[in-house]
Amino acid sequence: MGDLRSLAERMKSDWDRRVSHDYRFWMSDGHRDDKDMWQSGERDFAILTGDIKNPQNKTLLEIGCGVGRLLHAAAPRFGRVIGFDVSDVAISKARELLRDYNNVELYAGSGYDLSPIQDSSIDVVISFAALASMPVGVAANYLCEAARILKPDGDLRLQIYLGREQEVYEDDTLHLRCFTHENFRKAAEAAGFTVNTIEELILPIQVSVKEIGLEAVIVKLRRNNSLSVADSSQVAKLLLPSGEKQARRETTISELEYWMALNYARDLVDRGEIEHARETLEYAISQVRDSSVDASELINYIANAVAGERALENEKVSVKERSDYFNRNMAVIKRRFNTLYHTLEQIRADDADLQVGDTPEGRVLVRKGQCLDHQQKPATAAKVWAERLLSDSRFKQADKIAVYGFGSGYHLESLIKLGGKDLLVIEPDPRVLLKALAIRDLTDLLESLSGLALAERVDKDFFEGNVELAIRPQSQVGTAEILQRVKTLFYGERGFSALHPTIGVLGPVMGGTLPIGGYTLRSLLGLNQRARLFEMSAFAGGMNQLEQFVKEDFRKAALRGHYIEMLSQIVIESINEKPIDILICMAQAPVSLRALEYCRQKGIITVLWFVEDYLRFTYWKSVAAYFDFVFTIQRGECLSAIKSAGAGEVHYLPVACDPVVHTPLELSEEEKERWGSPISFVGAGYHNRQQMFASLANLPFKIWGTEWPQCKPFDRLVQEEGRRLKPEEYVKIFNATDININLHSSTERDGVDPYGDFLNPRTFELASCGAFQLCDERAYLSEVLEPGKEIITFKNRHDLQDKIRYYLERPEERREIAERAREKVLAAHTYNHRIHEMLSVIYSSKFEQLKRREKESPWTRMLERSKIDPELHERCKAAFERGEEPNLDGLVSDIVAGEGKLSETEQKLMFLFHVRKQIIRMTEERTGAKGPK
Amino acid sequence: MNSGIMKRRYPEKDRVLLVNITRLGDMLQATPTIAGMKMENPDCKITVLVEKQFEGICNIIPNIDEIVGIDLGMTVRSLAREQDGIIDAYEYVSEVVDDLRIKNFDYCLNMSSSAYTAILLNLLGIKRRGGWASDEEGYRVIESEWARLFATSVFHQNRQFNSLNLVDVFRCSADVEQHPKKLLVDVPQDASDYIDNLLREAAFTTEGPLIAVQAGASQGKRQWATEKFIELIDHLTYKYKARVVLTGTKKELPIIEPIKAGCRSENVFVVAGRTNLPQLAALLQKSAILVTGDTGPMHMSVAVGTPVVSMFLASAYGYETGPYSEGNLILQPVIECGPCNPNKDCARPDCHDQIDPQALAELVAMRIERDVKNLPQGLFDPARVIVYRSFFDQFGFCDLESINTSAGDPWQRYRNAYRKLWLDDLGGFPIEQENKPETKILQVAEEFPGINEITSRAEKGRALIDRLLELIRDTSSEPRLLGQVSEKLSELDREIEQIGYHFAPLGPLTRMFIFAKENLSGTDAAGLASQMGRVYDDLKRRSRKLVEYY
Repeated sequence: MGDLRSLAERMKSDWDRRVSHDYRFWMSDGHRDDKDMWQSGERDFAILTGDIKNPQNKTLLEIGCGVGRLLHAAAPRFGRVIGFDVSDVAISKARELLRDYNNVELYAGSGYDLSPIQDSSIDVVISFAALASMPVGVAANYLCEAARILKPDGDLRLQIYLGREQEVYEDDTLHLRCFTHENFRKAAEAAGFTVNTIEELILPIQVSVKEIGLEAVIVKLRRNNSLSVADSSQVAKLLLPSGEKQARRETTISELEYWMALNYARDLVDRGEIEHARETLEYAISQVRDSSVDASELINYIANAVAGERALENEKVSVKERSDYFNRNMAVIKRRFNTLYHTLEQIRADDADLQVGDTPEGRVLVRKGQCLDHQQKPATAAKVWAERLLSDSRFKQADKIAVYGFGSGYHLESLIKLGGKDLLVIEPDPRVLLKALAIRDLTDLLESLSGLALAERVDKDFFEGNVELAIRPQSQVGTAEILQRVKTLFYGERGFSALHPTIGVLGPVMGGTLPIGGYTLRSLLGLNQRARLFEMSAFAGGMNQLEQFVKEDFRKAALRGHYIEMLSQIVIESINEKPIDILICMAQAPVSLRALEYCRQKGIITVLWFVEDYLRFTYWKSVAAYFDFVFTIQRGECLSAIKSAGAGEVHYLPVACDPVVHTPLELSEEEKERWGSPISFVGAGYHNRQQMFASLANLPFKIWGTEWPQCKPFDRLVQEEGRRLKPEEYVKIFNATDININLHSSTERDGVDPYGDFLNPRTFELASCGAFQLCDERAYLSEVLEPGKEIITFKNRHDLQDKIRYYLERPEERREIAERAREKVLAAHTYNHRIHEMLSVIYSSKFEQLKRREKESPWTRMLERSKIDPELHERCKAAFERGEEPNLDGLVSDIVAGEGKLSETEQKLMFLFHVRKQIIRMTEERTGAKGPK
Repeated sequence: MNSGIMKRRYPEKDRVLLVNITRLGDMLQATPTIAGMKMENPDCKITVLVEKQFEGICNIIPNIDEIVGIDLGMTVRSLAREQDGIIDAYEYVSEVVDDLRIKNFDYCLNMSSSAYTAILLNLLGIKRRGGWASDEEGYRVIESEWARLFATSVFHQNRQFNSLNLVDVFRCSADVEQHPKKLLVDVPQDASDYIDNLLREAAFTTEGPLIAVQAGASQGKRQWATEKFIELIDHLTYKYKARVVLTGTKKELPIIEPIKAGCRSENVFVVAGRTNLPQLAALLQKSAILVTGDTGPMHMSVAVGTPVVSMFLASAYGYETGPYSEGNLILQPVIECGPCNPNKDCARPDCHDQIDPQALAELVAMRIERDVKNLPQGLFDPARVIVYRSFFDQFGFCDLESINTSAGDPWQRYRNAYRKLWLDDLGGFPIEQENKPETKILQVAEEFPGINEITSRAEKGRALIDRLLELIRDTSSEPRLLGQVSEKLSELDREIEQIGYHFAPLGPLTRMFIFAKENLSGTDAAGLASQMGRVYDDLKRRSRKLVEYY
């Protein structure tokens, strides 16, 4: 191994050169401007550190900070921020770019250590995409240095590559190093760290190259308190036991750098940045002395452009050009996939960003500069990919493989050739498919496919049978949303049959969300999930009582905090006793950040169903980072805001109705008298409602609910002293009322909120009861119920008054509208639908994690071993499905004496049950110790 | 011995399984039954199913042909591992069941009331059985009237009305009439040699009697105080030049060492923790006497023929579990709260003070000399402690006679009456009875609160059953009527139960009634009604007999 000092010199000279040429390209993926670069920095920084608590009190240090792409995101968040980079040029640029921040310190370091930094003085050390391009010895030394400067329990967050080791020269500062998971773990532990999590890094651009075993990952490590740590040479040995190839001591840039620069120059040409393209071309050509890469065409292309003759060498093939290939291919599609054929016929899309490239092995498609196949050897790379795929046990065991991404079809041909599997193909971009059909003869391939569909048209039936889904990384780029849909369909649906997680639902202590916890549980059980509810409403009395003891708000808040901490502990203990795999927290659920962190450490998937207006209730800001999934009742900015607050995934999921509770009722005359009225409203007395309903005081109008003023006219309108109603009570009101008013709450606006978007539960519940409602206009309403046909809306007070008058006189019209609304919500808007969707999302995203967890779960082994006795096996299965724990109590919980003859298996289990009871009792007697009963 | 008199369900047995899983005392107390089976049928093969750790003690019990050990400790450890452990435990129990089934037992006796042995019996599918078992639906049942009497007698509220030693009740539950009138163990020669060596180590300086003292007790409230033991031993060593050995287990050393430390004489030797069960048997065999509480070593001493002087403190009750051989001395404190409930702790065991250590030393010395049938006046005040001597009655049942009082305690009359009742009614033994005229019987009934209520309800029960049977047979009868009668019967049974709680001396009678009711079997309505009719008949007959014997 070369000595660290000389390796560092090489790093310094390489990076000074590159940064001098173009810091945004070499240090941050070639962003067009700094704003783009900062945005990507924000994204990556959130991925790396989003879950770090109280950053304002902490010091963060970045190894390999470059020009400060991530520090720009760190500075406003962390108390003190330190950046280290080997390149003076980069540090000098970073000083310029970050001059507005006075909490940032920048060091052009030695390139292999962090020497000015004192021991145990830093809270968080990060490094993004830097360690991978460092010689192993240097990277190992940085690991040891990070351990030295971190406080005990300090965090180290790295973006590196794990998978298959790559052959890289020791002095190469550009090629990516990759270590095996096992070696990395050993090295990190030897350096003094505990590896907490390793997760794949998914970005909108391709970051992993799985064909060659290179997986981009985010590793979260914690400085452990072990005293003895290995020295850096030992750590390096553990990282890469075989060591790196000896240094070549090249004086010029590597082929990779040359090739990257040329391609960048071409992109610059395509972007119209001709001058910079010229500089880049010069950079590439002047630095390289000799290269085996034949880049003559590329150079000509750039040079021509630079010379003002922008002559694209690409073959121009219009989407609709009826080339021979296209006609022949389409003929097969027409015969075999007729629906798809008609869809493709309808498409009139612009394909200006799709280009065709030539390679010795055939033509390839390039979309926005990204080649959808290997840009030089598409057929060879496709074969490698296909072999690798088929060697994976998951795919080996499948009868069919569904491939996401048609590309130019090379990989599909390889799969067909290697054979044995039915092939289904989903293409996210119809233009890609059309263009591929135009540039190659794909008739044989199309004849061999078992299915071909566009991603947005695919449905769950497409995946019928023993199918595995393979996602082509190239096709993934830029199709995140549609890919999510496909994954949700595939894994979500498969999850329902293949996964058996235990799901805990944590309801709130009180408030309007309370019943939704119960509806969620019922739906989970209805969907045959193993679920249980942490029913917290019994603690409401305690919560209210706390408020009676003190007057000052800050004391109340402190007490509430303590109380929630205690309730959280109750939940934790319950989880420890009966483990769960997924925790669904309803909005306002009493769970502390500590408890959520604990759950995540236990590998529990945390979910928040935030059924509140995110603008009014903003506590999501502090909790989002603790949830793997947040489901919201709003879209648009709500999703991105919660996502940038650190939530794993954020999805839109409106509330719904529970037809078991929200149902048409036959009411007695007495009940009609008590609950009924020509016009009713159920809900709390928000500002806009008071303002609106005061004008209805002369009508036969009843108001039910809390927080209404006790003055006129409400003293007359509000029923039963404005008490809180139970769901079964307001269902009676809905049923007994001719016109139910549904005005969404607003604390700011008068009357109807013109910006109102989400729908409240009442919208669905009224519809499910078959009750007629007049609802204020809402942005999302027409997606659920068709205004005028299934629901009647009002814009303002006058409109409401007019419609009340109109509909009071037309019971038949009311009935018809309400019936249509009921039919609609039952078909698509029950909690069963919602929970199915929620689980589909979770299962699609966490399928492997849940599967692994299930595989490691004690039940799996117990079920396997119980096969020694068929009845025991059946009993185990039943206990598992009931959500029991894998213990004796779980197995015998449904055996009841006196309910029929006990089978032999049941008797044996009861024998064991009583043996245990007796022995415990006798032990207690003998030792005088009382154990838990 | 009056052989061949006893009423028996299963007098003939060839291949017997005795389930006696958990306690040392239980195992020793079963020895007369085991020996009796062999006496009645020398070819009978007897298998004992015991907890693994008691296999050792079974080796020194005569007449056992085969010992099957079941490792409950391991089973529970497996279960504690959960998951895999449950399957391991399940496989183990399956193996045990299979191994036992192939032995094709024709009779099984389980005198452990634990639920798991009851289930095991049902799993084994042995048709003829005694003691605790379970029915097909998992309910626990008690087969045989004697076993129900066993359960009745150990019911805390009923204990003072029982004078039958549980060893006899156990034996009768197994339908064994002949027996050796003592407990039995074999003392192996190597154990005897070991004790000789051990005693040499003691280097006693006197030649006085070797007295074994078992100071440790199974429960704190039965534990006689250290200073009382010291006073007792000092008296024995000084006045009678006794050589004292303190027996016990290693766990009991914290009780025993302070006693040794407090004794003035050097002739006190601690063997606690240094003997296994055969060696303990050998030691006791070499001792002149054992001074003890109601303990396992007490039964062991009896089994090797060494007399015992035993203090039945707190919950211990001499009649119930007293030393099962003739001529042992039992001290039962006279105290309002005793014998107390075994399941309740006691913060102030006053019963311990009823026994004077010096008087006890005198009694011990006396018993070493001779079989004590009466006591010098004033040695033990009968108002504080009753001293009993054990003996066997004419039917071969162990009994106790007081040797320091002629008055007896207030419950004695009930005890005598019940003894006669059960020997007559369950055992079929010919009890001599006074020919009481009707007026006398009525008078006695007056003195026996609640007995008339029981008798009349038993009669009413029989009448209701007859009506029920009529309705069942009459296919045209309204179901409503059947329901009414059933409801009345339920109400009647609740009343009978309540009478038993209210009038304590009727407890054994009503408890036997409840057990009988719980043991009705079958699903056929008429069959069940007929069985229930017999239960009322039994109650009526027994209540009448009780009055006669009272």
